Amino acid sequence: MAYPIPRKKTIFLVRLMVIITSAYFIIFSPSAGRELEIYAYLFIAFYLMTNLIVAYIPEKYFYDDKIFYGFILCDSILLPAGIYFSGYVGSDLYLMFFFIISLTTMSSSFRYLVMNTLFFSVIYSWLLYKRDLLTGPMAGSYLIQIPFIDVIALFYGYLITTRLKDKDERINEVRERYEQIVQATDVLMCIVDHDNKILFANQKLVRFYGFQDEKSLLGLTISQIYNEDEIESEKSLSHVKSVYENNAMVQYESYDKNHAIWLANTLSPIRDPSSHDVFAVCIISKDITERIEREKNLNDTVEMLRKTRDQLIQKDKMAALGRLASGIAHEMRNPLEIISMGMDYLENNLPDDNPNISESIERIFDAINRAENIIKNILSFSRQSVGEITQIPICPLLDNVLTLAQQAIQKNSVNVQREYENELLEVAGDYNMMEQVFLNLVNNAVDSMKNDKEKRLTIRAYKQLVSEVGYKTGYRRADYFSIGDEMIVVEISDTGKGIPEEILPKIFEPFFTTKAKNEGTGLGLSVAHMIMDRLYGTIDVESRENQGTTFFIKLQPKSKLTKTKER
Amino acid sequence: MSRNIKVLAIDDEADFCYFVKKNLMQSGMFDVIIATNGAEGIKMAENEKPDIILLDLFMPDMPGEDVAAALGEKASTAKIPILYVTALATNEDVIEGKENKIGNNYILPKPVRTKKLIETIVKILGEY
Repeated sequence: MAYPIPRKKTIFLVRLMVIITSAYFIIFSPSAGRELEIYAYLFIAFYLMTNLIVAYIPEKYFYDDKIFYGFILCDSILLPAGIYFSGYVGSDLYLMFFFIISLTTMSSSFRYLVMNTLFFSVIYSWLLYKRDLLTGPMAGSYLIQIPFIDVIALFYGYLITTRLKDKDERINEVRERYEQIVQATDVLMCIVDHDNKILFANQKLVRFYGFQDEKSLLGLTISQIYNEDEIESEKSLSHVKSVYENNAMVQYESYDKNHAIWLANTLSPIRDPSSHDVFAVCIISKDITERIEREKNLNDTVEMLRKTRDQLIQKDKMAALGRLASGIAHEMRNPLEIISMGMDYLENNLPDDNPNISESIERIFDAINRAENIIKNILSFSRQSVGEITQIPICPLLDNVLTLAQQAIQKNSVNVQREYENELLEVAGDYNMMEQVFLNLVNNAVDSMKNDKEKRLTIRAYKQLVSEVGYKTGYRRADYFSIGDEMIVVEISDTGKGIPEEILPKIFEPFFTTKAKNEGTGLGLSVAHMIMDRLYGTIDVESRENQGTTFFIKLQPKSKLTKTKER
Repeated sequence: MSRNIKVLAIDDEADFCYFVKKNLMQSGMFDVIIATNGAEGIKMAENEKPDIILLDLFMPDMPGEDVAAALGEKASTAKIPILYVTALATNEDVIEGKENKIGNNYILPKPVRTKKLIETIVKILGEY
């Protein structure tokens, strides 16, 4: 929107000047009739009142030419009335001249100027006639004033209106060009005022938000148009506010739920050329959904690669650790054997009347047994092949595991829930290995709830179709399961203390344990992991601290014949 | 039993042999002779004709299985039962509660206690 002349201000000032001048003539004119005085004062008051009305009419009505010319017409009647009341007809010409030129040229219309000039000429002639000035000796000099003033008014008026017209045309041209640019851009654009109300919106925005035309959304606030929820709307309003307050550009991204797109918004201040204060804010919003999606995909890919890399490293590390550990385990057995045999010898040859000695010997044998247990667990890593893979009904196996863990479950008064989708679910696996895995997980779950009030162990078994392959579906899933494959999922879920996020990646590492020295070797989960690998299944974990842990064991429903031999 | 059971222990771990000898001898049922490598073991088996051979699976000069094979080829030693006493046993080789063998030979994983060793030897000899 262009603001060539502040019409309201000009009209107000011009009228004020006219009123003051008229008042001066009415009050101090030597020919003012005494009997008219009260009407004259009332007239001045009325004229001032009309100007007050002008002051309170909103600026935008002055740009409607009909309303604008209505004001001028109204004054065309009031001004001669004032001249009439003053009774000082002879010297008012300059007032009319000033008035005609000032006001009519503001509408940039030469036609109005001519009409106004003629209108005045008639009224002025009538006034001269009423005052009997057309018959006196000065009649000629009064009459000649009319064409004289007409010519000057028309001449200046013509000059000004044509100049203004040229200027208007140039402005229009520039405006049109800008308009074209604004409408041709692929962005949503609007200008809002201090109250967040729309002053301008481009067609793209109008159509985007489903409005008929620009007019129907003028005056609405941006939150009404954006149709945002409270949080989003507060955000955008605060951004607009900050532009006003800081007089600086603001950029932010937002999500439009209704259109399901991402927008990059740029809020630029539109400054008053003289004071540099912000008087409006231009909001440009660009659809960046594609970019965001791409970024998201990229992030997902990076995340997937990172996880895959971690998994590969983990697998390598575990394999290396397994080899190293089994080497060490074998080597440890020889000295352990010597100790064991040596203890046998000592036991037989030491005097047995000293209870301290036999107790010491007992303790040493306990330690030897513990060491041997660790070695056995470590050697699970060096297993080269799995036993016979058969179809195993999983539910009886899980029931059996719960029976084996019965003592610990009862001792800790754990509430066990079984949720089997189907009692007949079968998996391909090695019974002993799977029993070892599940028993380990159940024991861990029971242990984790030792200090909790609510102790609930849930075991679920169900069939699932693989819908995703990659890091999200678990460790090395891509190797063992393809999209569309069936898998049997067993969930072992507890309400225990959970696993802190920072140690979650380590729990499958050999020798990693949070248990006390005598309670765990740190091999249970790593052996479970290794076993699942051998069975072409996976084991994943989800855990929230103080809420519980769930292990997901995903198994093959049918034997992968080609792969079950040697690995 | 009229005479003691003659046991040949072949193991590169001299200390192991030492304690096997001490412990078995102490039980009063056994005579124990010792070889600390495979070649020596084969020679001793031929010369001494033991009732049973305790054999390590991993020895620097030759693996226990080769020793067993060499003994098996010779008529004089082929019939001597062999019991592997080894640290190399994997979990699959040894399953609790089952009779564990590599080929025709029994296996006993280290660490083993004297009592168990004697029981196993007696059991094996009882079968022959």
